[in-house]
Amino acid sequence: MAVMTETAAAVPVVQVPKRRSPYPASFFLPAAVIYGVLFLLPTFASLYFSLTRWTLFNSTFIGLDNFAQFLREPFLIKGLINTVLYAVITSGLKVVLGLLLAVLLTSQIAARGYLRSVVFFPVLVSTVGVGITFTILMHPTQGMINEALAVIGIKGPGWLVNPSLALFSVALVDVWKGVGLATVIYIAGIVAIPKDYYEAARIDGSTKWQSFLYVTLPLCRPATVTVILLSFIGGLRTFDLIWAMTRGGPGFASDTVASVIYKQYQAGFYGLSTAGNVVLFILIAVLVVPLTMLLNRREGHE
Amino acid sequence: MAGLELKSLRKSYGNVEVIKGVDLTIEHGEFVVFVGPSGCGKSTLLRMIAGLEDITGGELYIAGKLCNAVEPRDRGIAMVFQSYALYPHMTVYDNVGFGLKLAKTPKDVRDKKIRDAARILQMEHLLDRKPSQLSGGQRQRVAIGRAIVRQPEVFLFDEPLSNLDAALRVDTRMEIAKLHADLGATMVYVTHDQVEAMTLADKIVVLNAGVVQQVGAPIELYQRPANLFVAGFIGSPKMNFVSVTVEAVGARTITVTGKDLSSVAIPANPTGIKPGDTVTLGVRPHALDRNASGTIVGQVGLVERLGNETIVNLKLPSEASWLVVFDGDHDLAVGQSVALSFAPESAIIFGADGMARHPA
Repeated sequence: MAVMTETAAAVPVVQVPKRRSPYPASFFLPAAVIYGVLFLLPTFASLYFSLTRWTLFNSTFIGLDNFAQFLREPFLIKGLINTVLYAVITSGLKVVLGLLLAVLLTSQIAARGYLRSVVFFPVLVSTVGVGITFTILMHPTQGMINEALAVIGIKGPGWLVNPSLALFSVALVDVWKGVGLATVIYIAGIVAIPKDYYEAARIDGSTKWQSFLYVTLPLCRPATVTVILLSFIGGLRTFDLIWAMTRGGPGFASDTVASVIYKQYQAGFYGLSTAGNVVLFILIAVLVVPLTMLLNRREGHE
Repeated sequence: MAGLELKSLRKSYGNVEVIKGVDLTIEHGEFVVFVGPSGCGKSTLLRMIAGLEDITGGELYIAGKLCNAVEPRDRGIAMVFQSYALYPHMTVYDNVGFGLKLAKTPKDVRDKKIRDAARILQMEHLLDRKPSQLSGGQRQRVAIGRAIVRQPEVFLFDEPLSNLDAALRVDTRMEIAKLHADLGATMVYVTHDQVEAMTLADKIVVLNAGVVQQVGAPIELYQRPANLFVAGFIGSPKMNFVSVTVEAVGARTITVTGKDLSSVAIPANPTGIKPGDTVTLGVRPHALDRNASGTIVGQVGLVERLGNETIVNLKLPSEASWLVVFDGDHDLAVGQSVALSFAPESAIIFGADGMARHPA
């Protein structure tokens, strides 16, 4: 500090004009307007409406009643558990399968470029379309999956009609659809690892498996962090696939927070469902913020 | 005995042949430097010895054992990479001990070997750091440490100094020479820097376009280059060449003349050369002296005054441009005429085939 002060005293400081020109600020005005209208305004409006009884045309302030009622929902706990379970299963499977596929698709195999497209293709298909298609494929008696299983003598389960299986079936479809994105992120991470590391490891006597363990896995850690966070947040927010395939059913067996909210919205409880969204937002923040901090802290080797 | 023997070693990528039959014997404990311009195949040759590139043809023997199809780890070699290839997520200690860990060396033995290597390289205080916390020179040291702990019979270096700044390069060069003296291991070193080659090598292998141009002791390559390529590559600044006509052929001399110089008899092997032939005369920049009665006259183009010597770019009458190094400081004006002379025995005649005609 002393040194710095001395230097500051020795060198004549150029006076910074006290009033800055507003001209540069005008450049971010368009973006600020768009951000304000499309993001800030709805966010704060929804915070307000979650505290009202709201019919879309007029609203009455009722304090925290909506939150109290939302948290009293009989199937909310089930929905919360399902949401977290779904997020953990889908992000976990996407990490493992994405990494394996990426390792396979970066190795010297035939038709590599074609296979990369095949893996990525489901990402491009509409979620609702995928949901409907798989609902048909997973039909307990006439679905192609169970018919195929029957050929080899296995009696397929009731994928979407068995209450203890429905959520997992949807999660599997979610993984099928989303693993392509995880794979692409991993491929980018793996091809960025310099070849020298593998060669040095080979000279040190490393087997293929050891090279994967000691070089690929630690060095594609940034990709892993990205995949975990993206798919975990995606899993917590999941709605479209669940709605297209089970509507939260059978019964409430595959309800998630988002589908509970949607049902309330359909029933005309706009204030209540808005409160539900605020709860979902808090849930995501509470789970993801510590997770991000944990993952990024361990990354501190660069 | 851990020498190397390369027998007509070849390497092709598809139809492109990059190593075109290299024969070479490296004795145990020798320091051999592969040198050549970029793309000459020197790194590829080193990587073939390491086992990182497949051998397309020929045979590679390490310590008398045929190694064409042997895994890198079983060849008894260690390699230092240009990029150092230190694992960024491991500490220096783990980086150095990685190979030992893979070989399932007991922990206490491993620890002793790592600390021994650290002591040899004076980097004991760095063992707990990550590579990102090290300077370039320190990383270089760790990379060498990783090679030492494997106690290899042959060390392979792939341009290890090219990422260091000039001052550090000189220091590290000396350390590598010292290391070679201490360990007495065989070392194969790839560089494009001829100063590194001249100072480190027991034996230099000059490569160009996948073909060995000449193998020999550094001073031998400087004094008796086999051909135009070696003559131009070894020595700094580069040897000057000029096209001349043979005037007369003696028993041990060739008398040449040309646009740029009057008749001079050069000691050379005249076999197969007859008057009227066009040959190339090579004269090193340091072999030329300022001499008012000199046979070569040129115009000063560019002057670099370094104090202890002066490097002058001269334009000869034939438009050829020569570099001349004068001892001491010379204040020369651009465009000024300078007359030069040289001792005939310092010049080399190259035949039309590019091969040197050294006197017997």
